[in-house]
Parts: sequence; C-alpha cells; structure tokens
Amino acid sequence: MNAFEQFRLNVTRRHFLGTGSHLLGTAALASLVGNGLAQRASAGINPAARLHFAPRAKHVIYLHMVGGPSQMDLFDYKPVMKDWFDKDLPESVRMGQRLTTMTSGQARFPIAPSMYKFEQVGQSGMWISELLPWLKKTADDLVFIRSMHTEAINHEPAITLMQTGNQVTGRPCLGAWSSYGLGTLNNNLPTFVVMVARSTNTEQVQAISARLWSSGFLSGEHAAVSFRTAGDPILFINDPPGVPRDIRRASLDGVSALNELNYQQIGDPQTHTRIQQYELAYRMQASVPELTDIASEPDSTYKLYGDAAKEPGTFANTALLARRMVERGVRFVQIYHNNWDTHSNVAGRLPDQCRDVDQPCYGLIQDLKQRGMLDDTLVIWGGEFGRTIYSQGGLSAQNYGRDHHPRCFTMWMAGGGFKGGAVLGETDDFSYNIVKDPVHIRDFHATVLSQLGFDHERFTFKHQGLDQKLTGVFPARILSEVLA
Amino acid sequence: MIWLGGGLVASAAEPDKIEYNRDIRPILSDNCFACHGPDSASRKADLRIDQRDAAIEMAAISPGDPDASEMIRRILSEDESERMPPVETKKKLTEAQKQLLVRWIRDGAEYQPHWSLIPPTRPELPKVGNAWWVRNPIDAFVAARLEAAGLNAAPEADRRTLARRLSLDLTGLPPTPEMVEEFVNDSAPDAYERLVDKLLASPHWGEHRARYWLDASRYADTHGIHIDNYREMWSYRDWVIKKFNENMPFDTFTIENLAGDLLPNATLDQQIGSGFNRCNITTSEGGAIDEEYAVLYTRDRTETTSQVWMGLTAGCAVCHDHKFDPLSQREFYEMAAFFNNTTQKPMDGNVKDTPPVVTVPMDADRPRWNDVGKQIPNAKKLLDERRQNARPEFNTWLATAKPSDVAVEIPTSDLELYVPLDDGGATVRYELKGQKADAALPSTVEWRDGKLGGKAAYLNQGAILEVPAAGDFDSNQGFSYAAWVKLPANDGAGAVLARMNEDDNFRGWDLWVEGRRIGGHLVNSWPANALKVVTRDQLPADQWVHVAVAYDGKSKAAGFQVYVNGQLQPTNVLADTLSGTTKTTVPFKVGQRHKSSPLSGASVQDVRVYARRLADGEIASLAKSALTAVIAAAPDKRTEADLNALYDWWLATVDEAYKSLSQTHDSLVRAQADVQARSTIAHVMQEKDEAALAFVLNRGEYDQRRDQVAPSTPKMLPPFPGDAPRNRLGFAKWLLRPEHPLTARVTVNRLWSEVFGTGLVKSAGDFGVTGELPSDPALLDWLAVDFRESGWDVKRLMKLIVTSAAYRQSAVVTKDKLEKDQENRLLSRGPRYRMDAEMVRDYALASSGLLSEKIGGPSVKPYQPPGVWEAVAMIGSNTRDYKQDSGEALYRRSMYTFWKRSAPPASMDVFNAPNREHCVVVRERTNTPLQALVTLNDPQFVEAARRLAESSLKATADVTGRMNFLAERLLARRLRPNEVAIVQASLEKFQKHYAASEEDAKKLVDVGDSNVEATAPPADLAAWTMVANQLMNLDEVLNK
Repeated sequence: MNAFEQFRLNVTRRHFLGTGSHLLGTAALASLVGNGLAQRASAGINPAARLHFAPRAKHVIYLHMVGGPSQMDLFDYKPVMKDWFDKDLPESVRMGQRLTTMTSGQARFPIAPSMYKFEQVGQSGMWISELLPWLKKTADDLVFIRSMHTEAINHEPAITLMQTGNQVTGRPCLGAWSSYGLGTLNNNLPTFVVMVARSTNTEQVQAISARLWSSGFLSGEHAAVSFRTAGDPILFINDPPGVPRDIRRASLDGVSALNELNYQQIGDPQTHTRIQQYELAYRMQASVPELTDIASEPDSTYKLYGDAAKEPGTFANTALLARRMVERGVRFVQIYHNNWDTHSNVAGRLPDQCRDVDQPCYGLIQDLKQRGMLDDTLVIWGGEFGRTIYSQGGLSAQNYGRDHHPRCFTMWMAGGGFKGGAVLGETDDFSYNIVKDPVHIRDFHATVLSQLGFDHERFTFKHQGLDQKLTGVFPARILSEVLA
Repeated sequence: MIWLGGGLVASAAEPDKIEYNRDIRPILSDNCFACHGPDSASRKADLRIDQRDAAIEMAAISPGDPDASEMIRRILSEDESERMPPVETKKKLTEAQKQLLVRWIRDGAEYQPHWSLIPPTRPELPKVGNAWWVRNPIDAFVAARLEAAGLNAAPEADRRTLARRLSLDLTGLPPTPEMVEEFVNDSAPDAYERLVDKLLASPHWGEHRARYWLDASRYADTHGIHIDNYREMWSYRDWVIKKFNENMPFDTFTIENLAGDLLPNATLDQQIGSGFNRCNITTSEGGAIDEEYAVLYTRDRTETTSQVWMGLTAGCAVCHDHKFDPLSQREFYEMAAFFNNTTQKPMDGNVKDTPPVVTVPMDADRPRWNDVGKQIPNAKKLLDERRQNARPEFNTWLATAKPSDVAVEIPTSDLELYVPLDDGGATVRYELKGQKADAALPSTVEWRDGKLGGKAAYLNQGAILEVPAAGDFDSNQGFSYAAWVKLPANDGAGAVLARMNEDDNFRGWDLWVEGRRIGGHLVNSWPANALKVVTRDQLPADQWVHVAVAYDGKSKAAGFQVYVNGQLQPTNVLADTLSGTTKTTVPFKVGQRHKSSPLSGASVQDVRVYARRLADGEIASLAKSALTAVIAAAPDKRTEADLNALYDWWLATVDEAYKSLSQTHDSLVRAQADVQARSTIAHVMQEKDEAALAFVLNRGEYDQRRDQVAPSTPKMLPPFPGDAPRNRLGFAKWLLRPEHPLTARVTVNRLWSEVFGTGLVKSAGDFGVTGELPSDPALLDWLAVDFRESGWDVKRLMKLIVTSAAYRQSAVVTKDKLEKDQENRLLSRGPRYRMDAEMVRDYALASSGLLSEKIGGPSVKPYQPPGVWEAVAMIGSNTRDYKQDSGEALYRRSMYTFWKRSAPPASMDVFNAPNREHCVVVRERTNTPLQALVTLNDPQFVEAARRLAESSLKATADVTGRMNFLAERLLARRLRPNEVAIVQASLEKFQKHYAASEEDAKKLVDVGDSNVEATAPPADLAAWTMVANQLMNLDEVLNK
C-alpha cells in the first residue's frame, strides 16, 4: 500500500466525505491525521493547495487582553477632556446608544479624563501613555488601529465574536481556521496552542472558556492544544512516575506489535492509524520538554523579556514560550492575559496590568526581529472592546472606573507584513464614536487571513449546507493601507 | 482528489430511471438553490426552481422539452456571461450532471417532495437469495443490498466477540469473564437471546442509553456562560436513567421531556422530565441585557427540539428563510413561540437553583414534605387574617403611643460599634463599646441628605471609617450588623462594612452588595472554605433601605439571615463550606474591605454592629428606627406608607396574637426548610399565564422585532391538529402523530447509530435537503413504522437490532469489502469503531474491578490534573477550584463526572466528548496522539492497570496464566501464542528494570488513591502494572 493510499484509508473520514467535491487543502488534511503523517501524506502534493495567494505571515501570536483595555488611558489620547472633568457626557455624543445594565441606570455620566501623561513617539507620531514605556521604544514596529469597533457590549459575546466571528458560541476560532488552512510545520508539536497567562493583579478577572479555542464545526484536530502553566504542559505528556523512557519505549514496541497482529486478523485500517498516533505521542513526549526548557535561554533573552519570563505562568513567560513555539513550527499561538475589566479603580489596576505586558511585548517583538522571524510572524495585541470616557461609579481626580464600550477601541499589530509605524483610524474628542476609518472585527479577521494567504470570501467550510466563513455574511475589507 | 467523492447512493453515474430525490435534487441543491431556492431574500431573478410549478411558470423548465427549457440553455451555454451557475460562484456542473438534467427534463421533469417529508409506510421485505442468512426483517434489507453490490455478509463473529459487543452496546461496560464463559458454554439454541435479555434487564442499560441522551439534551452541571457556576441539575439525569430502565415508551418519554409540566396534575416525576428544556446554557453576566438572552434561550430550545426529534437544522432560519429546506424565517419564529412562554428569568442569578424549580425530597421525606406543604398555606392564611383584623387595636395603641415606645425597643446590649453618620460634621463620630470617639473625615466622603434626618455619608470610592478594634469576631460566635443604605442604580459590587483581609484569602467577614443584592461573606479561605449568602431579590435603587445580617455562630448558611427593612429575606446560598476561624488582624472598615471593593455612589447611615445574634424583633425595631419620626409627627402629617410600616412593626413586636400565629407559621416553614436542606431540586418548565407568542426578528437580532407570531408548526409538515392546545404539550403530541414523517425515522436512526457507529442517515441531526440520503431508505422506513406501531418500544427495537444477523457478523475487513464498502454503510461486516470517551474510561475501571456500581446521584470529581478549571474560571465562580473527590467517587461511571461547560472533563474532551453547550447527536470520532497520552499516562488508567495487575498476581503464579487473566478482562478472550511471546518479551524488560530500581517500582505502584495490597513485591507489581497498561492500550481494547 503506498503512502497516499494508506493516508486515504487512515484519515477519519467524516470530515471530507461529508463535503463532497468541496475538498480540504492537502495541508489541512495532513493536520487531521496529526503531524506524524503529514510529511508522508503530503509527499508529492503541493502543500499550499489551500492558499489563495502567497502568504506574508506563516505564524500568528495573538495576545488577547481579557476584559477590554482602556483605550483612552493607553493609546487614544484625548487632551481636550481635561476641561471636561466631571461634566456630563453630552447626549449628542452618546446618541442613545445602548449601555450595559451596569451603568445604564446611572443618574449621571461624568467624564473622567485620563490621569496619565502621553507622549508622541516614532515616525507615526503615535501617542502612547506613560504606562507603556517599553512599547514606546518599539512603536515603529507597530501598526495601531484606533478605530476598532464591535456590536457586543458584554464580555462573553464580545470575546466570542472577537475569536470566532460570531457572538453566539459554537463556531471555529481564528486559530482553528488557521490550523485548518495552513496545516502543520512540525510533526511533533501541535499546530495551534493556547496559553492562559496569570495576571499579577486579580481584582476583576473575567471568565474565559475552552470554547474560545474550540474548532467549532471544523474537525476537533483544529482546536488549540492547551499549554498549561502548571503541571504537565500538555495533559499527560509525562510518563507516570517510575516509568523511564526506555520502559515506555519497550511498552510501546509491544503495543505496536500486538496491534499489528490484530490488524492482520481484522484488517481495520484505523488500527494502523492508531499505531502511528502512539508513535507520534512518543515523539511529542520528547519535543515538548525541549520546547519548554527555557533554562537554555541566554541572559540576553531575559534582558529583553524581563526576569518575570523565568517564572512559569507569567505573561512574560508565555511570550517567551510563544517565540520558542513559533521557532519550532507552531502556526498559531493564542495567549490570554486577564484582569483588564476596569469598572472601578483604574488607578489601582491599570498600572499593574501594563507592567505585566509592557516589557514582554517589547521583548517579543525585538526578539522576533533579531532572529529574522518578525517578517513572517504576525503579533496581535488587543481586547474584546474598549471602555467608556465616563466614569462608572464615583469619580475623583485620582481614580475612576470605566464601563464596557463597543463603539471604539485600539489594537496593535506587528510583523507579518504589516507596515510598522502606521496609525489607522480616529475617534471623536470623547473617544466615544469613530470619526475616520472604522474597522470592524470582520475587517481585522479578513486582513489577518489575507496575510496568511487566504481570501476570506473563498476560505470556507461547508456546514449545514452553507459555505461558512470566519467573516460571516457582511462584507469585510482588507486594511491594505496598513500593509507593507 | 476525485477519489474522495462518490457517495454511496447519490452517485452521479447514469441510473436506469431518474429519481428526483436521488439523482437531481443533490445537483440542484448544491449548485442552484442558494439563489433559486426557498430563501426569498437571496433569490435572484425572482426564479425558484425548487418548486416545479414555479420553474415551469418562469419557463426555466419545459417538461419533456429540454431545448425549450431556459435552465438547460443556460447551463449548456458557452457564453460565460450567461452560463449557470455563474462563474463568480466558483460552482461548476460536470458533463454527467448536465446530461442528467437534460434527461430528467426530457422524461418529464418529475419532482418529488424531499424524501424525509413523505410519511414512511412499511415496505415489503425484499426477496433475497441467501434467505438462510436472514434472522429477522433487518437482514432481508441488508442481504438485498449486499447481493446487489456483489458482496457477501461476513461470517458470524465468535461468541467471545459477540458477548463483548453485546455487553458494550447494551450496558456500555465490558462483560465479566464469567458472563463470557457462561455464554460460550451455553449450548441451548436461545443462548444468544437470553444473553440479550439479561443485558437489557441490567440497570446499566438505562445508564448507557441515558449517556447518549445527555448529549442530545446538552446536560451539564454548570450554567455555561461567564461565571459558569454550579447548576443542580442531576435529578434530570437520574430521571433519564430511570425512564430508560423502566423502558418508558418513547412517545411518553417525548411528552414528558417536552411538556411534563403541562400534563394534567403533573406528578413530580413528570415535572422533572420537563428539565430537558432547562439544560440550555444561561448567563448572569453583569451588564447583560435580559431580552438578548431570552431570545437566545428560546432559539436554543427550538433548535434543540427540532434537531433531536425531527433532524431539522432549524437554526438556519433564525436570520433568513432556510436556504435549502422549505422552512421560512417566519415559520421558525412560529415554532419558537412554543418555547417562548416560560416564567424563567433570563439571568440565572449564578445560583444552582434558578427558578422555576421544584424540590425533590428524598423518598423517606416525601410524606412529611407533603404534610407540611399542606399546612403552611393555612398558617399563612391565619396570619393574613390577623393582619386584616388587627387594625383597630393598632389604632387604639397609636392614639396614645409616644416616640419613646418605639425608640426604647432599639437594642443596646452588646452594641459593639455605633456610627450614626448623621451630622455632616468635619469628623466621623462613633461609639466603640460605649466609648465616644472621632475620626478624620476622608476626602472620598461627602455629606448628603440622610434617612433619619440630618445628613448621611455618601461614598466615592473609599472607606468612611477605620476602627481596628471593632468587629473582631470568629466564626463560632453569633453577631449581627445593620445599616441604612441607599444604593445607586448599577450592578456594581462592594462592601458596606468589612473586616476582611484580601491578602489572606479574604479571611474575615463583610456586609456585601452585588448587583444590588445584599448579603455577606464569612471566610476562612475563599472560596474553598467560606460562607456566602445574598438576597434573591434586588434592593430598590436610589431609595433608603435598612439592611441587617444576623449570624448564629454555627458556620452554616442556615444560620445566616439577611433582613431588609426588618423583614427576613429569601436568599441564595453561594457558598456553604465554612469551617475554622474567620479571625483576621486587619481593621474593621465602613465602605470597603481592607484594600479593595470600595462601595461607590452609595449613601450609608446608622451603622450598628452587635456582638450577638439579634432576635428578629430587634432587627425589625432597628429597621423601624425611622418610625419614631412617624409617631412624633402630627396625625395628619403621617402618610399612608408610614402608617403601614408602623403597623408592620406593631404586629411583629407588640401584638401577641400575631406573634403567636407567626411562631406557628415560622416553625412550619423551618420544618419545610429542614426537609429541603436534605433534598435536591429539579429545574422545570413553567408557562406564563398569557398565550405564547414570539416576534420575527430581523436577522435574528433581539432588538429588531418585526411581526408578532403565534405558535405554529411549519407548512412542510403535517398540520397542527385543530383540537390540540397551542403549547408544548400540543407540540409534543403533534410530533408523535402517525402521519408525522420525521419523529420515528429520526429516533430509530439515532438508536441505530448507537450500535453501528453511523446512522442509516449518516447526518443524524440533518434529515433536510443538505443532509445525507439514507443508505437504505426502505430499512429506515420499515424500522420507523415498526417502532411506532410497537408502541415506541425502545428495548424491543434494540433487541431487534442486536439479534439481527447483520449485527452478529464478524468485523473482519477484506480487500473486497474495503473497496466496495469502505465505511460499512452496506453492513458487509460487524461494527467496529473506537469507543466513546466515557466508555474508554469505564472500560478501564470495570475491567480492573475499580468501578463503582452505584447508579445516580450528584456528580463527582474524579482525578483531573490541577489547573484545568482554574485556568479559565473567574475568581468568584464556585466552580473555579477543582476539588478532587476521594474514595468511591473516583471510580463512578464517567457519565457522573462533573461537567463544567467552560472546561469539560479534560480526559474525555480529548476523546471527542462534547462541551455540552449545544445539542449533539453525532459525536466526532478522531484518532490522535493526545488520546494515547491519556490512556497511557492518566493516573485513572495507571491506577486501573495496577489494580488489574494486583488481581492477576493474586489469581495465579503462572506467567501465562496471569497474562490470560488480564486478557480475559480486557479482551474477553485468552492470548494467542504469538501474542504471549510479545507480552513475554515486554514483561522481561519491565521485570529487569523494576528489579534493578525498586524506587521506580514504588513510584509507579503508588499512583492513585486506592491502597496497594502488600501481597506482591513492588518490582513484580510494577512490571505487571506495565503489562496491564500495555494491554489496556491495544486497539482491540479501545475499539468496540
């Protein structure tokens, strides 16, 4: 039986028999059977079968700030607001737009100007808050989009929309789509990895959920493998205590031999697949510890990311691991950092949040750049929505809170074919409504897909009779003005 | 990659007689219907060709005359600008497809309704050559198709294989070696049937069938969205198991699932059944908008019911007319109206018992429960009568009452701290244990109008006052605290009073507001060791209310009462696990905890902290402290509301008659509460009083209502009976009508797929146009009609399936079968596929003797690596910290494992167990390296291997005997000589290693909570543990 025939028989069949003539790319098929088979399976076949055009990025590192960072305290500089302290948000600005029920009953919407100092940096002259001193230094590598907007006003639907293109759960996330389209680059590591970093401050941690990195209607293989920050990095990657590698090897040799006998008797091709999956598991057991062994990193690495990178579970640590993953061929790394939901106590919380991520973001970008990896690695930073200019609860010169705000927020990207030092979009004086170049989440998704080599209109999967796509049914545009 | 195409029945190869459903519809559906089909919004050129009349009228089709048919001209056109399908759709017809369409029109362009919408009739059994092979009608259909395909059936599997297969299919568990031997040695002609009957009678039958149903009904133990707190739902799971074991007819089962609550005089059991529609995911996220989620829940219930009973992907019609099936958007919302009339509030409140719920007492408690339940209304009636009648006595009292009559009632003994907050001064005055003192007024406080005259402290993100010596209570002493508060209209959270240290796992206590509900915490270590209670109802916004908490010093939520305006409040218990001290060294504060959770935008006045539990009357007095003003006022200045408040106080504290009636009433309520504390609950459905309705929602958006619609069923299906009620009960009965084309088919198909791994219709959740055609339509119809006419008898159907010759075949795959029947859709061999997640784990537990036989009860938390829940859950979620159980709970069947939706059981997730957010009727079945890691390394499996090894060591000293001991339990057979040789070689390596490293041996055998029996040396046990682990990982074990 040749490799191709064997592959055909081995692959779990429902994924493509259900799709009739609508076929997955070879690379996508390869990742269905796991990395071990990929090389053999794709031998002689163009691995870029699914790509619609030449990709600018081969990897994505997506840093999601759970809770919704405050755009006007970090990026969206609104000096005029100084004169508006404790004045009511004009109705002409709010225009009856819906609010969450956390503040919709408030008698007043008093404006809380940002208490932080801003500085203009880099070629673009982007304004950045004093809370992000490290990021300022790498501003010329970043594209800022100040005009992101969404429909959702609460965390669950908003974060689900950001990750899956829909507020209702059950659809594949961006990483799963990427895995489906791109396939694997490393036989012995997952294609799509998620890490949940620990925030130093935990005053208002928001819920996240495994559904955010699920494969939805795509095959289960495209769901992220969770790299855990405590215990085994991948569930049960380590042999039980008292089982050294050679004993595991001996035991697997026996498993394979016995399975082969069973195959000779029953003839079920799935038995061969299983033999190969066990071998792949064995190899992953070696490659994962090598990946997570950050002790081998030189001091210069920690100068970039900060010493927190040495401590498992910190954001800095996950950022460093993300670089090591991408280096080894992982396609998509999703990192979640929590506690950005500053309904109250911005002064007591936001500095902690920024301290957690500021230097590691800088370090990651510099590190990728130094290694020549930034060109084909796209780094994304952002939350699920923005925050209100008016204060939730009490307001003082020293402190305030901010409610969820879907009408505008800021994200940044670096590398992966984005044009460093660019700024897109403007908001009004209240950082409330967008006045120029609105960017919807589907525009952002379409652009990321395009950098990976996919036309979002044609990058589809047939489900319930429809050609489903990440960007949904409304038109989406590619943000070509910020692409190199 | 053409090899991937080629469905079994939808082949585009030249058929003898063209059938629309088989040959033509798939072409049109794939290529044309998106623009020329049922969806009016996306229809192009006003042309639809899914209906014959419409296509003829528009001249697209001229029956018998392809040349006169515009459709044919366009699909054959050389001109790209007019060729169909248009170039930009990237769709292209093959030459063969074009010719089929031409032939079809030449033959008259006959349409057929979609196959699944034609009610099934019982087909004739096909005549077959191999009549000797046919054991029951199923086989006649199977044999006919095998013969047509030129394939032979596989020989019957050997008895060991059959015993294992039967046991797994009927109970989900492997057979015991004794069961296998008994069957092998049973030479009676009905040996097989008796084994089937025995397994059908096993209580594990109900568990196994229920396990599939739990996927369909999206059962789980948490709410699902956001905080994802615990939901006490397991009485529904128990109900499903019980009903399958009772072999409740599927029609009754349908009615009780969909409308048990609407049956006349619904029994408790019937109400529990209605929990099907309470299994959906819910939220209570702060800030969420009610209507948005009400719409989502109704949609979920409509989609789930459509999919489970009718195989309809109704969800496609949420935003627009269905693209392929004749289901309009309006019809979707008409169907949704049946499910849109619940009294359930959209926000689940993050409580385990979101109303409507009913109490499900333990069996022994039921008489007392019913008795007390009958007495309470009477006691309540007497109370109400007294309230009605005592007004003249009150008026008499009032005529001579003085302010001091009320004032003197305010308790002063054990008053530890009193902070009036009423003078608007430059300092904050307070009395600590009678000692007057002053503190500086913080800048975050301003004075605004108060309740008790004068001023009150208005908080702006920060504490009012800090008193190190106040409120230093421990959990074993009673205490009380109270204040007047006025809260802003937002859902924020914060502490009114607190002595709590966030840096020591929140040790201490507080008076807490969240979402305008008031209550408190008593914490040793949050959340594992703590008590938290808040009121069920919200406090009014921007109004003064008196709040008080009284605690009896017994560390239980039952002794922690919350009062609003002097009235005892119904509460939600969010944590009740307190033991140990709550003492902390941080100071007492008014307005926040030690460092965080400042109350903002709220006014506070008259703070009192008592070092004992105040009596109810005392709290009522505190709350009525404002009433001194009422009495002091001239009679004509007293408002109606003031007088009513004063009357309430008088009844509760002065009137002996009322107090005595109240005591009787309260003791009954307490008795009821005692029973309730030992009971579980059931989430049930409950209709509103008004008629059901829904709105067509533009694009499915909750805030874009269009036409109002009444409950109705889609026109493509049989009419709703005129005499049936337009509610869920009527809907359920409509599903079960003999002319309904879907319910019986969909149900037999699902049960079939539980045995053969794939349904006769592979897309078990989609019987619509885009679903797959049945591999054997006649067999499906025969089964559907037979099932319905048998009285929807599930056990009978399952027995029919497993006693067929088709089922009893060996699973051996030959080259011929692989070519002609790769997926075994023709059933040219017996079923063989990887078991579901739960079965894989249960198999290890059962074969090693660890499995608990217990059926039903609350969910359990077996082994799971730390961090799976903690990584995703919110701080404050009561399912954040995974606290592993011990003892028997580690070894229960997997269907009892606690199912947290945002982090499903990790080991099962790897084996394609769903997250239970939505209805699942077809599980995916992948084959991945992560699965290998689970069965090789998960302590649950390693421990099972060790236990199995221990038993083998005890059973015999003979090496081959030990191997066979393992094999009989894992494979239901003995090892063959060539297998023995392989295992022997492995064993020798293991023995050598563990003989040399006793340390490794000890580490390995120490895995798991169960004791290691000291009968064997660790090196031996470790080596055999590895052998058992090896065999447990065989493909033959993991496959059915």
